[in-house]
Amino acid sequence: MLIKYEFLKLLRKKSTFIVIIVSLVLTAFLFGLPIMQYQTYHQGGVAKGKKGIDYEKEYYLGLAGPLSEEYITKTILEVQQLFQNPDHVGYDGNEKFLIGAAYWKGIAPREKLLNMIVKAYDRPNENSAYDRLSDLDITDGANFYRAMETKMEALLNDPSRELSEEQKEYWSNMTHKIEFPLRYGYFGGWEIIMSSLELLMFAILAICIIIAPVFSGEYQAGTDAVILSGKYGKTKLVTAKIVASFLFGILIFTLHMAVAFGLPLAAFGTDGWNLPVQIANVTIPYPFTFLQAALLSIGVIYLVLFAMIGLTLLLSSGMKTSYLVLMVLIPILFIPMFLTPNGTTGTYNLILFLLPYRAIMPEIGKYISYQFGNLILDAFSVKAILYTFLTLIMLPLARLGFKRHQVV
Amino acid sequence: MELQLQQLNKQYGTKRAVDNINARFVPGIYGLLGANGAGKTTLMRMICGVLRATSGAIYFNGKMIQELGEKYYTHLGYMPQDFGFYPDFTAREFMLYMAAVKGLDKKKAKFRTEELLQMVHLQDVANKKIKCYSGGMKQRLGIAQAELNNPSILILDEPTAGLDPKERVRFRNLISNFAKKKIVILSTHIVSDVSYVADTILMMKNGRFLLQEPMDTVTDNIRGKVWEVLVDEQKAAEYSEQYSIVNLHHENNMVRLRIVSEDAPTADAVTAEPSLEDLFLYYFREEIWEEKSHVNKI
Repeated sequence: MLIKYEFLKLLRKKSTFIVIIVSLVLTAFLFGLPIMQYQTYHQGGVAKGKKGIDYEKEYYLGLAGPLSEEYITKTILEVQQLFQNPDHVGYDGNEKFLIGAAYWKGIAPREKLLNMIVKAYDRPNENSAYDRLSDLDITDGANFYRAMETKMEALLNDPSRELSEEQKEYWSNMTHKIEFPLRYGYFGGWEIIMSSLELLMFAILAICIIIAPVFSGEYQAGTDAVILSGKYGKTKLVTAKIVASFLFGILIFTLHMAVAFGLPLAAFGTDGWNLPVQIANVTIPYPFTFLQAALLSIGVIYLVLFAMIGLTLLLSSGMKTSYLVLMVLIPILFIPMFLTPNGTTGTYNLILFLLPYRAIMPEIGKYISYQFGNLILDAFSVKAILYTFLTLIMLPLARLGFKRHQVV
Repeated sequence: MELQLQQLNKQYGTKRAVDNINARFVPGIYGLLGANGAGKTTLMRMICGVLRATSGAIYFNGKMIQELGEKYYTHLGYMPQDFGFYPDFTAREFMLYMAAVKGLDKKKAKFRTEELLQMVHLQDVANKKIKCYSGGMKQRLGIAQAELNNPSILILDEPTAGLDPKERVRFRNLISNFAKKKIVILSTHIVSDVSYVADTILMMKNGRFLLQEPMDTVTDNIRGKVWEVLVDEQKAAEYSEQYSIVNLHHENNMVRLRIVSEDAPTADAVTAEPSLEDLFLYYFREEIWEEKSHVNKI
């Protein structure tokens, strides 16, 4: 009963309704923007929005299948053959590129695939285009997977990353779990989702705004005296407030997740959910499919949400008004947005990656790990542990804050 | 049933809001009188367990209320001064919510809600949101929620503040109905609120109890100190400056004054039967004087 009424208290406010609507519209806009702005170029011009998506998807579904060494060698060979005809080749002083039908028929329909293959042969910090394939020695075959492993090793040994031997070993073990050959296919929807997850910060903020008055609102309205003098005012009511806040937060956030995932997946399709993330970037060390990576990211985001709810409740239990709560909370949520990491190691960067805004970014290709003695944990694990710990710490403190509140 | 306050103190910085209060309450209505800032609300909050005492203790049936915890709150009904409501709740929802906070089971909560809403004449508007209620309706809802758990201790802090005379009378009757076999502590600075219903009068000033007396004998303290005189208007103005005037009534060209004073203001002054209002003025003349001069300045 108490949970129901606490839930109703949150839901009945006009401000709750307004915040939810604004936040949902913003989320829909942010996650819908890539769909509206999507465009694919083809020989006849440009296909925009859903038309562009359908056009590209048709080609890429045709490329679906395992990326065997033979297939990759054949693909590279086809590109090299196109470059052999001087009539097909343009040059801008820096790089050569294919022109006319050679580009539109031989490259454009599979440019993402070619760029992905090229990445395996690039040196760390190098970013070549498909033309790099024209010079590749494939007389003994493409040796794509060996190149991929070499690239990952080079990344781990890159001095600028400052990884310890234990960290290198940790990542090396992880990359060995990637199953070869990679399977290719269309993954447009998942790519959009994975690159936009940090935009869910606005949904977290909306939830914090709504639950900020859970305790402080009672102080502000002067209802604290009457509820704290009730039998369950300092016990079950506090639990009910916390449970209702979490239920509310989960419900509203899930609604946002449905929009954030629903829009791209409706427009781009769910294709690619079972494909390995390496087809988007060959240097990603995690042996996950897109769905697994998305679920893991969602899991971490929910834990960040829980901790933020916990922090909001803690502040709410100790502050006189919900405005004060938000004055503390908003900088915590958004200041990290303006801080840029300058690497993947060092105290500054390692802390930055754990702050709320950065913590909800998957950053699966960055080899971010934390070393505690001989124990190595990847960023996902540390975020999960940290935010679970923070939630578990803050909730009893919030309870205590309300229980010990003095009506003066 | 007994509620005891033992050497109760509350200090805010250098100000002592409640100063070494000792009291014993048994079932009955206690009128807690005091000027604004006397410490009534602070005392009530401590009795209700929502404000910690700096020192001293409160015992209910011989046990400290902190030790009793939930058990104590089961016996408690509290209507704080100016307490807020949830504007988007209806009166019925608010009552059911408070019933849940007070630990009533669903069936009893529904029964008591309907019963009390009827008693406070809010049944017809029970499904209206509280934000649409008048001050008087909110006060009635306030006392109804305090009564939900049929408490043994009912604490009412300035329950009639902001009510018109008709509402105040209705409220007094409500309190009388609810008070049977309970300890009711009713704080107010409006003397007439307690003069009809209280069994015992407690007067509080500067955080201390000035007196704790049964209603029947409370005015004995000032017997022979209440005077009535009939004077002209010029004299009346002079007396207003010199004495504590309880009442002033114009009769043709003369003014009848009711004065509280240790000595007879004039030789022809006659003693009058003291009332609670006289007593209040006797103890709080300085505060009332200060308030009066403040109003005059404005």
